[in-house]
Amino acid sequence: MYGTHSKRDMDIEYQSQVPILRPSIHARRAKITVKFQDLYGFTVEGNVDDVNVLNEVREKVREKGKVWWALEASKGANWYLQTHVSSTLKTSLKFSALVNAITLKKLIRKGIPPVLRPKIWFSLSGAAKKKSTAPDSYYEDLTKAVQDKVTPATKQIDHDLPRTFPGHPWLDTAEGHAALRRVLVAYSFRDSDVGYCQGLNYVAALLLLVMKTEEEAFWMIAVLLENVLVSDCYNKNLSGCHVEQRVFKDLLTKKCPRIVAHLDALEFDVSLVCTEWFLCLFAKSLPSETTLRVWDVLFNEGANLLFHVAMAIFKMNEEELLTVHHVGDVIHIIQRCTHQLFDPDDLLTVAFDQIGFMTTTTISRQRKKQEPAVMAELDQRLRRLNSIKADDEQ
Amino acid sequence: MATSRNKNMNAKLVLLGDVGAGKSSLVLRFVKGQFIEFQESTIGAAFFSQTVALNDATVKFEIWDTAGQERYHSLAPMYYRGAAAAIIVYDITNQESFERAKKWVQELQAQGNSNMVMALTGNKADLLDARKVAAEEAQTYAQENGLFFMETSAKTAANVNDVFSEIAKRLPRLQPAQNPSGMVLMDGPAQTPATASCCS
Ligand SMILES: Nc1nc2c(ncn2[C@@H]2O[C@H](COP(=O)(O)OP(=O)(O)O)[C@@H](O)[C@H]2O)c(=O)[nH]1
Ligand SMILES: [Mg+2]
Repeated sequence: MYGTHSKRDMDIEYQSQVPILRPSIHARRAKITVKFQDLYGFTVEGNVDDVNVLNEVREKVREKGKVWWALEASKGANWYLQTHVSSTLKTSLKFSALVNAITLKKLIRKGIPPVLRPKIWFSLSGAAKKKSTAPDSYYEDLTKAVQDKVTPATKQIDHDLPRTFPGHPWLDTAEGHAALRRVLVAYSFRDSDVGYCQGLNYVAALLLLVMKTEEEAFWMIAVLLENVLVSDCYNKNLSGCHVEQRVFKDLLTKKCPRIVAHLDALEFDVSLVCTEWFLCLFAKSLPSETTLRVWDVLFNEGANLLFHVAMAIFKMNEEELLTVHHVGDVIHIIQRCTHQLFDPDDLLTVAFDQIGFMTTTTISRQRKKQEPAVMAELDQRLRRLNSIKADDEQ
Repeated sequence: MATSRNKNMNAKLVLLGDVGAGKSSLVLRFVKGQFIEFQESTIGAAFFSQTVALNDATVKFEIWDTAGQERYHSLAPMYYRGAAAAIIVYDITNQESFERAKKWVQELQAQGNSNMVMALTGNKADLLDARKVAAEEAQTYAQENGLFFMETSAKTAANVNDVFSEIAKRLPRLQPAQNPSGMVLMDGPAQTPATASCCS
C-alpha cells in the first residue's frame, strides 16, 4: 500500500549497507579522490579529508541527539511541538511556550537529529495543520484519481524521474521512481498554476528520503510552495524566482560590496549560480546532511534563511573570488565550495553570525519594490517574442 | 564577450534549443569525449569550459548549456547576454525542434549583439532513417540568416568538434579573411581540443 511505506526502515537499510569508511593509507598519501556513500545513500566524491569530515559529522549528529533526548526527559515528550504562543493560552503557559520557542530556535540552528526530523518538520512547517484541514483520504483519493492522466506536467515528470539523483540506491529504483512520480503528479493537479516545475523533483526526492511517508512528503511540498516560500517561485514564468534573484543581488551588494563590484567587472551575474540554489533549495548543490540542516531552519524560520545561506557561500569565498578574473574560475570556486561543504556548521555559522541582521520587513519591502520591475521585464520579453511571430505571419 | 590576451582568447558560448535536441550530449561529447544516456537534469544552465587550439592561437570557450521546460526560457537572457557565440541545436528527426530553433535565432537576432557568431546544428545525424528535417532546408535557412550550419551526432561524435572549431575561427579577433559568413561546412577537418575542464 502506498503512502504508508516507512522510509525509516529504508534509512536503517542504508546504514547497514554503508561500509565503515576507513580510507587506505595509499589514498591518504596520494590525496586520491574517493567515492563513498553519505548518511542518506548519496554517492559523493571527495578526498580523504572529506571522508573524515563526514565521519565527524556523523559523530556530531549522534552527540546532538543526546541534547534533544535530555530535553525530552526534562520538558516532556513533544515539548518542541508546543511552542505556539496563542492568545488563548493562560499567561503561565504562554511564557513556557515562549521559552520553548526560543530554546527550540537555538537548538534547530544546531541541527535536528535525523530521527526527529519527520515529526518536527511536519509540525513546524505548518504541513500538519494544512493536512488537518483536508479530508483524511485526500492524498490517497487524489493519487488514485490522477494516476492514469497524461498532461504536459506528467510527461515532464516521467522524463525527469531517471534524471533525479541517478544512481541513488533507493530513489533510482522502480519503487523510488514510482513514489516520486505519485507525489509530483498529485501536486501538479493540486495546483495547476504550478503544475510541475523542474527543480521540484530534487526537493521532493529529498523530502521522500526524510519524511516517514510519501503522503507527508506531499504535504511538505504543499506547505513549502503555498506558505513557506514566496509565492510564484515555480509558476509558469518563474516570476517569484526572478524577484528573489533581484532581492538577493541587492542584499549581496549591501553585505558584500567588494565581491559584487569584482563580479560586476567580470560581467558575472550572481544569478548564474544562485538560480539553482533557490529553485532546488540547495538540494542539488550541497551535500545531503548540509542541505537538510538548511531545511531544518527553513521550516522553522522561513524563506529569508535562503538569502543568508546563499550570502554565506559568497562570503566564505570572498578572498579567493577577489583574486580571479575569469567567469569559469568564479564558478569553479563556488561549486567546489558547495560540493565540499560536508560540515553543515561551517556554512551555518557564517550564515547566522557573519552576515548580520536582515529584518523581514526590509526584505518584504525589497520584494514589493522588485515585483513590478520583474513583471515589466517578463512582459517585455513576451511582447518581443510575439512581435517576432507576427512578423513571421506577414 | 570574447576577450583576448595575445593569441589566447576567452569566449562565452551559449547552447539553445528544444528539450531533447541534444545540447547536453553535444557539450559532453565536446568537453569529455563521452556519450551518456541519462545525465542528471540541469536547472537553468550548466557551465563547462573547453579550449580549442587553432593554428597559432587558442580559444577557451566558457560554455552555458541551457536546459529546462518552457518556463525556464525566461531565464535565457542571463545566459546569452554578452555571449560571443551561440549554438542553436535542433534534432533532425523532429520538425518541431527545428521550428523552435528558428525562434531562438530570432530571439538572439532581436536582442543579442550583432557580432555574435551563430551556428545552427542539426543533431542526431546518425538517425538518418528517422530524418524529418532536410539538410537543404536548414542550410537555406542558415544562409538567409547569416548562420553557419552543420549536422552533428553527439552519439558518433561526427562534426561535434568541428562546430566548435569553426566558431573559434569565426570569432571577430581571430577570423581569417577567407571565411565568408553563411558558408556551409558539412565536414570540416577535425580539431582536437587541447585541455578540458568541467564544473557542473
Ligand atoms: N541517436 C542519437 N541520440 C542522441 C544524440 N544526441 C543526444 N541524443 C539523445 O537524445 C536525448 C536528449 O539529449 P540531451 O543531450 O539530454 O538533450 P538536451 O535536452 O538538448 O540537453 C538523450 O536521450 C540523448 O541520449 C545523437 O547525436 N544521436
Ligand atoms: Mg540538457
